[in-house]
Formats: sequence, C-alpha cells, structure tokens
Amino acid sequence: MLLGPSLAVSAVLFALGVAGVLLRRNAIVIFMCVELMLNAVNLTFVALAQSLGVAGQIFVFFVMAVAAAEAAVGLAIILAIYRHKQTVDLQNINLLKG
Amino acid sequence: MILDLSSSRDLLLALLPELVLTAWSLVLLLLIAWRHRTAADLRLAGCVTLAALASTAGAVWWLWWHAARAAPTPLAAMIAVDDFRFVTDWLFLGAAALTVLLSFNYLEREQLLIPEYHALIVFATLGMMLMGGGDDLIVVFLGLELLSVSVYVLAGINRKSAAGAEAAFKYFLLGAFASSFLLYGIALVYGATGTTGLRAIAAQVGAGAGGGTMLAIGLALLLIGFGFKVAAVPFHMWVPDVYDGSPTPVTAYMASGVKAAAFAALFRVLGEAFSAVAAWHEIVWWLAVATMVVGNLIALAQRAVKRMLAYSSVAHAGYLLVAVAAGPGPGSAAFLFYLVAYTLMTLGAFALLAAKGRQGERDVLIDDLAGLATRHPWLAFALAVCMLSLLGFPGTAGFIGKWYILAAATSAGQGGLAAALVLTSVISAGYYLPVIMAMYMKPEPSAEAHVGMRLGRLGYAVVTVCVAGLLFFGVRPNRLLDLARTGGVAGPPAPEAIPAAPAVSAAHAPTAR
Repeated sequence: MLLGPSLAVSAVLFALGVAGVLLRRNAIVIFMCVELMLNAVNLTFVALAQSLGVAGQIFVFFVMAVAAAEAAVGLAIILAIYRHKQTVDLQNINLLKG
Repeated sequence: MILDLSSSRDLLLALLPELVLTAWSLVLLLLIAWRHRTAADLRLAGCVTLAALASTAGAVWWLWWHAARAAPTPLAAMIAVDDFRFVTDWLFLGAAALTVLLSFNYLEREQLLIPEYHALIVFATLGMMLMGGGDDLIVVFLGLELLSVSVYVLAGINRKSAAGAEAAFKYFLLGAFASSFLLYGIALVYGATGTTGLRAIAAQVGAGAGGGTMLAIGLALLLIGFGFKVAAVPFHMWVPDVYDGSPTPVTAYMASGVKAAAFAALFRVLGEAFSAVAAWHEIVWWLAVATMVVGNLIALAQRAVKRMLAYSSVAHAGYLLVAVAAGPGPGSAAFLFYLVAYTLMTLGAFALLAAKGRQGERDVLIDDLAGLATRHPWLAFALAVCMLSLLGFPGTAGFIGKWYILAAATSAGQGGLAAALVLTSVISAGYYLPVIMAMYMKPEPSAEAHVGMRLGRLGYAVVTVCVAGLLFFGVRPNRLLDLARTGGVAGPPAPEAIPAAPAVSAAHAPTAR
C-alpha cells in the first residue's frame, strides 16, 4: 500500500538533508539537515514495515532515541564552540586546517 | 559450551561481558555523582574503570575458556558468540585500559579534573564490544552510536581549549552525517532482504532473493558510512583536524580503539552478510588503493608530529582495507594480527607524544624532537620502535602484520593491492625515518629543550607494554597468530576458510626465527 511513493518521498527527504549538509554554512542548519536525514530513514523503516513486519517500526524507536541523544550532545558541542568563537558559522571555525 | 540463545539464561550468559561492563558503568556514574571535585576523586574513578575493564576481560575469558558457541536457532540471534568477538573484545578492553593508564598523569597535568572522562571511556568501550560482537545491523548501529556519542564528548572534554571544541564540533557534524548514511543503508538492506540479522541476510542474498538495485544502493550507503568511520579516503577529511585538536590520550583512543571497532564491524558485516555479493570487493579495492596512496603522500608533507600520525593512521586504514578486500577466509587472521599490532604501535606513539607536549601538545614539530636520544635514551628508543613498527621494519610486529596482509592479498588473487601496499610502505619511510633521524642524529638545540618531558610511572608502564608487545610479536608472532587464526571465523560457514589456513602458515615459515 503506497510503498513506492513513500520510499520515493523518504529518498527525496534524505537527498535534501545531504544537500543541506553540503551546501549550508550555519552549524545549526547543518544539524537540522542531519536530523532530516534520520527522519527520512525513519519514514523508510515505517513504509517497509507494512509488508515486512513489525520489526521495522521497532527500529524507528531505536533511531528516535539515538537521534535524541545525538541532539543533546550536539547542541552542547555547538554551544561550546559558540562560547569560544561567538559564532556558529563554519567559515569562521578554522583554527584547525585540514 | 553450547548456548541456546532462545533461552533467556543462555542469552544472559552470552551477553555476560557486556552486562558486567554495563553494571560497572552504572556504579561508576553513581560514584562520580558523589565524588567529582579533587584529583584524588579522579584517580579513584580511574581505578574503578581499570577494575571494570579487568573484570569484563575476565568474563570474556570465561566464555572463551568454555569455548562458548551459539546453538543454531531458527530465530535470528542479535549477538555473535565466536572467537572473533572474544579476540576483538580483548583488544578493545586492552586499548581502553592503556588509555586510562595514560590519562592519569595527563588529566592532572592539564588540570582536567573531570571523572566523567572515565565513565565516557567505559561507555565507548561498551559500544565497541557491541560493534565487534553484533550479529545484527541494528546492534552494530546502536554500538556505533554509543561509541560515537561518547567520543564526541571526549574530543571536546577540555572546555578551555578552542581547538578541542572545534575538534569535537567537526567530529560531531561529520560523524552524525556518516551515521545517517549508515542507517539509510541498513534501512534499504532491510527493505531488500526483509531482515537485519547478518546470517539471515547472507541466507537471503545467497538464495538470490532480494537482489537488485535496492540491495546494491543499501550496500553502497553502508560502505560510505563505514568509510567515514574507518577514515578511508575520500571520507578522511575530518581525521587530521579531529586528531589534532583532541587531548592526546583521547586521540590515542580514537586512533586505536575506535578505528579498530569500526574495522571489526565492517569486517563482520561484509564477510558474514555480504560475502555472496561481488560488488563490494571492487569498491573496497579502490578505497584501499586511494587510502594508502593519499594518506601516505599527505603525511609526507606534515611537519607537526600529531598531524603526521593522523595521516599515518589514514594510511594504516588503507592497509587494513587490503585485509578486508582479501575477504573473510584468507584475510581474517591477517586482519586481527594487524589490528593488534596497529593498536599497540599507535598507542605507544601517542603516549610518547603526550609526554613531550606541555600545556597543549598541538605544536610539537618533528624538529622539536632533535637530540632526544641523548637526554632521554629510553623514550627515544621507545618512539623509534613505534616508528619502525608503523613503517613495517623487520623485527617488529608491524612487519609481521604487513607480511600476513600481503600473503592474504596474494593468496586471494589481489596481486595489485599487494604491490600498492609495498610501494606505499616505501613512501611512508619518508616521514617515519625523519623522526628517528631527528632524535638520534641531530644535536639538542639547547640544554632546556627536553626539560618538561614527563611521562609519569603509569605512562612508562603503557609505553613499556606497547614496546615489549611490538618487539615480542615481531620476533615470536606464533602465539598471537594462532589466536588470530582461531579467531578468524567471522565468515559464514565459509568453505574458503579451510584452504586459507595453509596459505597463511606457509607464509609464516620464512619469518619465524
């Protein structure tokens, strides 16, 4: 039931997240794009669970818990860098040069 | 001992090491809640951590001693019970214990009186054990996240350091990005095969079901995610910055334990679930070549020791990928041996670097080591052994490790990879040898050049363990190799594992002295 369209939507969401991470320069926006990617995966799992059984829906809960933990740590790290730099723009975060 | 994983008692037994470590981590957190102010509290937390790691290693050993195996069940098991898991568990616990020993002196010197440091190390180690032992993609993912989230915090544990905050920031953004690729890969593999259990996937793939585009895309996304985690070129750009900015013991832990865990998971997933899919061999082949060439060439241009070691760890990821490309049969013994050797040499090198640096060791240049041999002959010798082992010089464990990877690659018909490994190892002499030359052949610039170099008794113990291990396994690799060979059953019931054993032991003959 609507498997194809749901998978397509989640693929588009995931691609949008990837594009955002690669193109945007603000740390918070990049972080939101990562969350978007994770939610695209959640949509995939839920869509697949219709035909493959309840396991897919259980994975979504794991992913949500992981995303919450990552958000807590990630925002703390972004706050830490703001205290040092007074900015969260990637262009100004260049103490270490790759 | 045959464990029936569908009964809860046997399942608890199979999970005993992880449960022991979890219980200890809760005890540790409780302890830290009460005592978290002075240096004595920090030492106490460190000692509890060492006890936790030792008792977990005991639990692993107990399972190993009883030759625990999982009974074949119709239900997909979440955790593997095999020697590969036990060997890698020991490796992770050993790397964590050496890191903790190294941190005692470092944390007090840098005024980082944060006992949570040790709790985070314990959580990260637990994540590693789940990665090395997970028999299900979701367990591998959860272990990876437990590891990653703890290490993000560890990278930025020094809140006074702007470089540390930046390292944590970059590590977090790229790590989370990579994790979502990995997760999407898991979702697509689940969609294509209807399961996330590694053995069940192998059965589905082997039966020809669920092939096609979805599985291929899922596998490609999995490889991208793991590529970031093991720092394979072209996904390596975070490595130098993160290694450079993090506190040195944390860098040592990242370069040894974290990388070993990512490789163990990659090896198990590719070997156990996808050995019937031919496509990944070629991808891993290209990744390995690119990683070896780019890592070694950029390392040549580095003047700071820490960045040089960071790029060298990228190059070593390439050597390990050669073992992965050789496949679960011939590659696994070489893979485990090299993983142990690599962990020892990396930890030793970073331990010595932590001793040299004062108040932020970011700027130790290779020239700053000039004349170290006259002032601290033993430390210079230890660093020289680590460098020679990283280079793969005969008589050290690094040489034997590279030898077995070469043997595995050629016996798997990957002659091109073996040639690339040898050639890039020659390039790597261009940045390992200058360190030794600076220490032994250049005069000390001034009498105070090496005054501040202090390692502490525990740091000496760590360096001694690493150097002794490297020299011992370099001369007598048999014991470790036997261990690695019995541990090398990560593949499916693998008929190819049987002809592989004589190939490795044949290669073994000329190197035994």
